[in-house]
Amino acid sequence: MRPRATPYVLVGPATLLLLAFGVLPILVAGAVSLTDLDAAGLGDVSRVRGVGLANYAELFGDAAFWQAMRNTAFYVVVGVPSVVVISLVIALLLNRSQSRFFRFLRSLYFLPAITGIVAIALVWGYLYNTQFGLVNYLLSLVGLGPVPWLSSPGLVKVSVALVAIWRGTGLNTVIFLAALQGVPKEYLEAAALDGASRLRTTWSVVLPLLRFAILFVTVTTVIAWLQFFDEAFVLTKGGPLGASTSISLFLFQQGFAGARFGYASAGSVVLFVVIAVITVLQLRGRRSDVEY
Amino acid sequence: MSSTETLARPVVTPAATPARRRRRRHPWVTGVVLSVGALATAFPFAWMIVSALKPRRESMAYPPHLLPQQLTLQYFTQLVQQLDFGRYLLNTLAVVLISMVGLLLMAMAGYGFAKFTFRGKEPIFFLVLTTMMIPVQVTMIPTYLILNGMGLTNTLVGIALPTLVSAFGVFLFRQFMTTIPTEVIEAARIDGAGEGRIFARIVLPMSRPILAVQVVLTFITGWNSFLWPLVIASDQNLYTLSVGIALLNQQVATNPSLQMAAASLMVVPVLVVFVVFQRHIVQGFALSGLK
Amino acid sequence: MANSSVRRALVPAGLAAVLALAACSSGGATTPQATSGGTGSSSAAPTGPLTVWVMGDATTKFDTLVAPFTQSTGIKVKTVAIPWDSVDQKMTTAVASGDGPDVVQVGLSKLRTYADTGALLTLDDATLAGHANLASSNFLDGVAGKATAVGGKVVSVPWIADTRVLFYRSDILSAAGISTPPATWDELRADAKKLAARGAGKYGYYIPQWDSPLPVEMTWDFGGDIIGADGKVNFDTPEFRKAVDLYTGLYADKSVPTAGDFDQTQGFVSGAAPMLVSGPYLAAAIKDAAPDLAGKWSVAQLPKGTTNTSLLAGSNMAVWAKTAHKDAALALLDYLSTPATQVKWFQLNGDLPTAKAALADSALTSDPLVSVYAAQLANAKIVPLVPNWDGATGKALLDALNSIALKGTDKETALTALFAATKGQSIG
Repeated sequence: MRPRATPYVLVGPATLLLLAFGVLPILVAGAVSLTDLDAAGLGDVSRVRGVGLANYAELFGDAAFWQAMRNTAFYVVVGVPSVVVISLVIALLLNRSQSRFFRFLRSLYFLPAITGIVAIALVWGYLYNTQFGLVNYLLSLVGLGPVPWLSSPGLVKVSVALVAIWRGTGLNTVIFLAALQGVPKEYLEAAALDGASRLRTTWSVVLPLLRFAILFVTVTTVIAWLQFFDEAFVLTKGGPLGASTSISLFLFQQGFAGARFGYASAGSVVLFVVIAVITVLQLRGRRSDVEY
Repeated sequence: MSSTETLARPVVTPAATPARRRRRRHPWVTGVVLSVGALATAFPFAWMIVSALKPRRESMAYPPHLLPQQLTLQYFTQLVQQLDFGRYLLNTLAVVLISMVGLLLMAMAGYGFAKFTFRGKEPIFFLVLTTMMIPVQVTMIPTYLILNGMGLTNTLVGIALPTLVSAFGVFLFRQFMTTIPTEVIEAARIDGAGEGRIFARIVLPMSRPILAVQVVLTFITGWNSFLWPLVIASDQNLYTLSVGIALLNQQVATNPSLQMAAASLMVVPVLVVFVVFQRHIVQGFALSGLK
Repeated sequence: MANSSVRRALVPAGLAAVLALAACSSGGATTPQATSGGTGSSSAAPTGPLTVWVMGDATTKFDTLVAPFTQSTGIKVKTVAIPWDSVDQKMTTAVASGDGPDVVQVGLSKLRTYADTGALLTLDDATLAGHANLASSNFLDGVAGKATAVGGKVVSVPWIADTRVLFYRSDILSAAGISTPPATWDELRADAKKLAARGAGKYGYYIPQWDSPLPVEMTWDFGGDIIGADGKVNFDTPEFRKAVDLYTGLYADKSVPTAGDFDQTQGFVSGAAPMLVSGPYLAAAIKDAAPDLAGKWSVAQLPKGTTNTSLLAGSNMAVWAKTAHKDAALALLDYLSTPATQVKWFQLNGDLPTAKAALADSALTSDPLVSVYAAQLANAKIVPLVPNWDGATGKALLDALNSIALKGTDKETALTALFAATKGQSIG
């Protein structure tokens, strides 16, 4: 094979598919965001009018948009560190033994990641239910509650984020476990012989070797939480009174459910730019870290 | 779950402890800590299974029963009877198989980005990453129109194509293939191995843990595929299981027990695949000696 | 995470990106691919085959229903079931590409949006000529003809109906000394207060916080409407204010649960909320979840203000504008509208008919619950066909009422915000 062509042969097919189904749509969204495309325009292109930046102007003046932005920031700030730290700690602990029992535990930690969203809505909705829920029932046995988990505007974000953390941890644990296989056992044994404690070995030997995995998990988790949608959608539909609405959910409610595609596209473009800026900053930051 | 952080402490033995004791065979303290966390994590899942097996009137009971008093398989029977189960299952398996081709494409791309330098690498990789940042709401209609233009509507390939390759997968492969020592690949080249052979015989085997992760993820994606089978199919014969199950949802009220049964049914195969492949996730390659 | 579940819950109408793309695909749009198998024969004699989109899991039953139609006309019918939750996705892509079915079931809450796309054939008198069963006088007044016209144009014919009635626990009411279900909203409010006094965790009534038609029903019952004479949304009426006082008053009396996740079936079965306004689906859920409760609950028509108009929900049937089998499609609609077919569908799938003759059939009137529904249907109206009721007007309405009831927002402040948010919305 001609070595010059090799990398293109390798990355070509995947890149082409991603261009067609990933990059092209955002370009289209950019174009649509400058129009008033709605249900009528969808059926008949001649009814679509260009509106310049009017959609963006309306978006930035929309109080619900800013509420959703603040909520999303909350989700990211609470969710990302929790998911990364918890899944890393679980992976490190699970990696202590390769016994059958530990393998079994590993499966248990992965369960939330494969539980369907419908079941998540039903089970958690039931657990959290103010009047008939299991959690409040257990609390009532010790004389507490009832706690309005999903009804209190202050508490609802925490409740919803908790479900997303529960669900997001399993996959990242597995990724960290796979990464831990790349840590040569000799390093650990050498460190142990030097009398280093386990915590110290983990801190100064294992974690630096995991930096690629940590970067990967952090970057993808940040993106996922910036697009936070599922849990809020199925548990609260964004309520009460918008208190748990994320940006993605806002776009869905304001734009897509009502077929205001132009307005929703403008919101999508804004969200895309926010995600891109944050991601580039993260990768920049880490690159200098890696090269030192 | 938050307990794991504080509870990690007991396992840390003081530096003064003899190394022999530290490397005990059964890290039982860790085991206990992890078990508690695992039970808490798995509880909602267990509740799902139990709810699917309870008669509806028991699911409604208050105060709730932790263990079912009466078991029933009626909701599973109802599912299988109401749906064209065999056909949906076959379609789902076909979509999963087609998705596995995507796995290969992602592995190739990951390898290309990890181990080659070529003109345009940075911008191309950035484009790949970009696709991960796009809010998923925006892609549906353009994608549909592209597939429509390609004449792939109402085909199984059309159903699998939009999700065949994910930037997440390419990124994951790249990150992990970066840790494969370049010396190994160079040595094979010097020995006269072709690029295809190097990829198949060296790179893929050394990527086994991450391949296993990806197999599980690809399986989950294919197995749960919902949007495209629904939108692309103009014939109900191409529906997958998750679409078939969604048909059971009523406009306003749906039987929760039935939904639980459906969700449980969907999870079982994924669980089997995970249990089979998780062994490979941890049978890592020995990097040692190569450095 | 970054995988499919997001994509799948996320729904509908993705971005319509189209613009450029719609243009380049419109070439393909004129060849109706969705009517696959259709060899494009659109001569004078009605031919098929027809592709019909029905909602939910009804394929087998629908096939049974239309088998005699195929037998007598030779028109084949291919049924494709669409999940209720995903109908937007399916419709939006179909509209964008032009590829659709021949006949489609449209939920009334979606009718305005789909009509606006121009995807539905206008069913004017000339089009309907020769189809006696499709005459609007055959159907319930609330959905017939002009009642579901969009912008003056009829684009659908009634298919199945759904309504809201008062559910009550007769055992709990009589234990509290209430011998008959409340006949007026004032009585209901007083009864609810009495029932809520039973103790902690007990309520008299339940208001679903997501139920935007409820305050509209209350407005109708006080003799008003939320649509002015000019066809524009108008909440600034004395009748609506009465509805607001009733709605928020129930909260002020502490007669209703404030938790947004209160479960109506569980609340009713457990007795925590022994009265509520809900649809026939609740009856099915109660029978299923608590068979031993039989005889201890019943339904009645809505309480009155000056009248007791309820909500009319349900689905209509529409013809795809670009169908190649228009005549066959109309023949099918005609068949579906015959009282016999509608009664058969009720027996097969439990959906209430929209044809008046079918509602009077003994198959329905023999069931005491169904006869209450049928009586209520005669006095029921649809939610006004303004654009995006659920996302815009209905949401603003709920936000206003719930913020008064739950957050203690000043009534006038909340109403002023509601008037501003819904200004200019119109059924025209």
